[in-house]
Amino acid sequence: MTQVAIGSLSDFPEGTPTRVEADGTALCIVRVGDTVHAICDDCPHAEASLSEGDFLADDMAIECPLHGSAFNLTTGDPDCPPATEAVEVFTVTVDGDSVLVDI
Amino acid sequence: MTIALIAGSGMAGRAAALTLRRVGWTGEIVLVGDDPEYPYERPPLSKSVVVGTADMSKVIKPAPEVYEQERIDLRRGVTVTGADASAKTAELSDGSTVAWDALVIATGCAPRELPIPGLDRPGVHRVTRLDEALEIQAVLATGPKHLAIIGGGFIGMEVAAAAVAAGHTATVLEAAPEPMSRPLGLEVAERVLQWATDRGVVVRAGVGVEQVSGDDIATGVRLVGGEEIDADLVIVAVGQTPRLELARQLGCVEVVGGVQVDAGMRTSVTDVYAVGDIAAFPSTWADEDRIRVEHAAVAIGHGQVAAEQIATGAGLFEDIPSFWSDQGDLTFNVVGVARPDDEIIWRGDQVLPACTAFYLRNGTLRAAFSVGDMKTLRGVRKLFAAGVSPTREQLGDPDVDLAALAAAG
Ligand SMILES: Cc1cc2nc3c(=O)[nH]c(=O)nc-3n(C[C@H](O)[C@H](O)[C@H](O)COP(=O)(O)OP(=O)(O)OC[C@H]3O[C@@H](n4cnc5c(N)ncnc54)[C@H](O)[C@@H]3O)c2cc1C
Ligand code: FES
Repeated sequence: MTQVAIGSLSDFPEGTPTRVEADGTALCIVRVGDTVHAICDDCPHAEASLSEGDFLADDMAIECPLHGSAFNLTTGDPDCPPATEAVEVFTVTVDGDSVLVDI
Repeated sequence: MTIALIAGSGMAGRAAALTLRRVGWTGEIVLVGDDPEYPYERPPLSKSVVVGTADMSKVIKPAPEVYEQERIDLRRGVTVTGADASAKTAELSDGSTVAWDALVIATGCAPRELPIPGLDRPGVHRVTRLDEALEIQAVLATGPKHLAIIGGGFIGMEVAAAAVAAGHTATVLEAAPEPMSRPLGLEVAERVLQWATDRGVVVRAGVGVEQVSGDDIATGVRLVGGEEIDADLVIVAVGQTPRLELARQLGCVEVVGGVQVDAGMRTSVTDVYAVGDIAAFPSTWADEDRIRVEHAAVAIGHGQVAAEQIATGAGLFEDIPSFWSDQGDLTFNVVGVARPDDEIIWRGDQVLPACTAFYLRNGTLRAAFSVGDMKTLRGVRKLFAAGVSPTREQLGDPDVDLAALAAAG
C-alpha cells in the first residue's frame, strides 16, 4: 500500500464527483465539507464511470449514471440491484490542503 | 445440518446463494445449474459479449473461487430432474439425491420455439446462454457480417445495435407492426426505434418469417410473400416461456403464467420458494393479484428475499419493478411497469439522447422511462414510495423537482 497525493482540497468542488487517476487506479473522488471520499471509479456492475454519476447527499452515495445502483461512500455497498457487489473504498487523508489516498 | 437446495444458477439462484452467506446463514447450500459455465450475468450477452467488448470478469461473477470460499456446493451442468415435496428430496441428473430443508426454484425461462423450418441449421444462433453468445462473438470476430435477427424485442434490438456499432450490418425482422411498443408504449418505442435506424439498423416490422434459407448452412431467411433476406448469420430472439416443470411436480399453485408466491417468495408448498422470471409475486403494479416480470433487477431482489426468509424468516420483496436496456450507445431505464395504452407525458421538449417520459393510467403515475436523467427516475421512485402522483403539468415541467414533491407528500 502506498499513499498517493491526488491534489489539494480546492481541486474537489463540494459534492461534485471527480475522476482521478492514482497509481494506475481510476478513482471517483467526492468532497463533503472537509471530508474527502474515494471509491473505485469503475462501476462493479457493467461499464460505467461512477464519477459521471450524481452524488446523493441524503444517502451519502454515488449513483451509477448507467443503471442507477447507488454506492455508499463509506461501505461501498450498492443500495439496490442491478449491482450486487460493493465498490472498493479507499482511505483518504487530508493533510493541510493536500489530499492523499491509500492505494 | 440444514440444507438449502437452489434449482437454477442464473441471476436469481446465484443471488439467493450469495445472500444466504452474506446474512450469515451457516447451513449447507447446494446450487444446481444445468448450464456448464460458472454463473454469469445474462444481460451483457446480447450487448457487449456478442461483439467481444465485454470485460469477462464482470460477466462471469463472482470469481470461481468464491463458491469454495463461501462453501457453496455449485453443481455445474447438472439438472434438477425431479423433486418430492413430502419427502423433501430432489433427484439430480448426475444420479444423486439431495435431501433439502428449503428449496428455491430459480429455473428462469426457455427460449420460445418458432414453427419455422430450418432453425436447427448451422448459422442460426440464439443468445440466451453464454456459450451461444460466445458462438456469435466468434463469427463476428472474423470480419464484417450481415445479421438477420428474428425478433424485434429488447434482446433482438440490443444485438442489432451492438453489431452495427461494431461495424456489422443488421436487419431486424419483427412480426408486430410496432416493435417494443408493448413494453414501452408506441410513442416511446418509436423514438427508441428511430435512434437505432438512424444508426443503421434496418427494422422490418409487420413481417412474417417463413423459413431459414440455405441447404446445409443458413444463408438468410425467406419472408412470407417470398422476399429473401440474405445474411451471414441468423439470430433468433423471439421471447421465452417460464420453465415450470419442477414447480409443477411439486404441486405449486400457478397464476398469471408463473408460480404463485407471497411477498416472501414462498410458494403454496411449504419450504418451497420461487424466484426470478418464473415467480408471480404480489405488487401494486399487478393487474391481477400477482405480476410476473422478466427483468434482472427483479430476479436479483427475489433471490435476496428468498435467502433472507430461509435464514431469518423475515424479508419481503417490495421493490419497485425496474429494468434497463443498452442498445448500442443508448441506455434507457424504466421504473414501474408501463402498459401500451398508458397516457404519455414527456418532460419538457427534450429529445434523445436525453429525454424522459411518464406513463399515466387513469391519471395516476405508473411508470417512467428515461435516457440520461437518473435524478428524475430517483424522484419517481420516491413518488411511488410516498404514494404521491403529480399533476400532468408538474410532470411535464423539467424545472419541477419530483423528489421535493414526494417529500412534501
Ligand atoms: C440475452 C438477455 C439479455 C437480457 N438483458 C436484460 C437487461 O438488459 N435488463 C434486464 O433488466 N433484464 C435483462 N434480461 C432478463 C434477465 O436476464 C432475466 O430476467 C434474469 O436472468 C432472470 O433470472 P432467473 O434466475 O429467473 O433466470 P435465469 O437467469 O434465466 O436462470 C435460470 C437458470 O436455471 C437453469 N435451469 C432451468 N431449469 C433447471 C433445472 N431443472 N435444473 C437446473 N438448472 C435449471 C437455466 O439453465 C438457467 O441457467 C436479459 C435476458 C437475456 C436472455
Ligand atoms: S453499470 Fe453501474 S449499475 Fe450498471
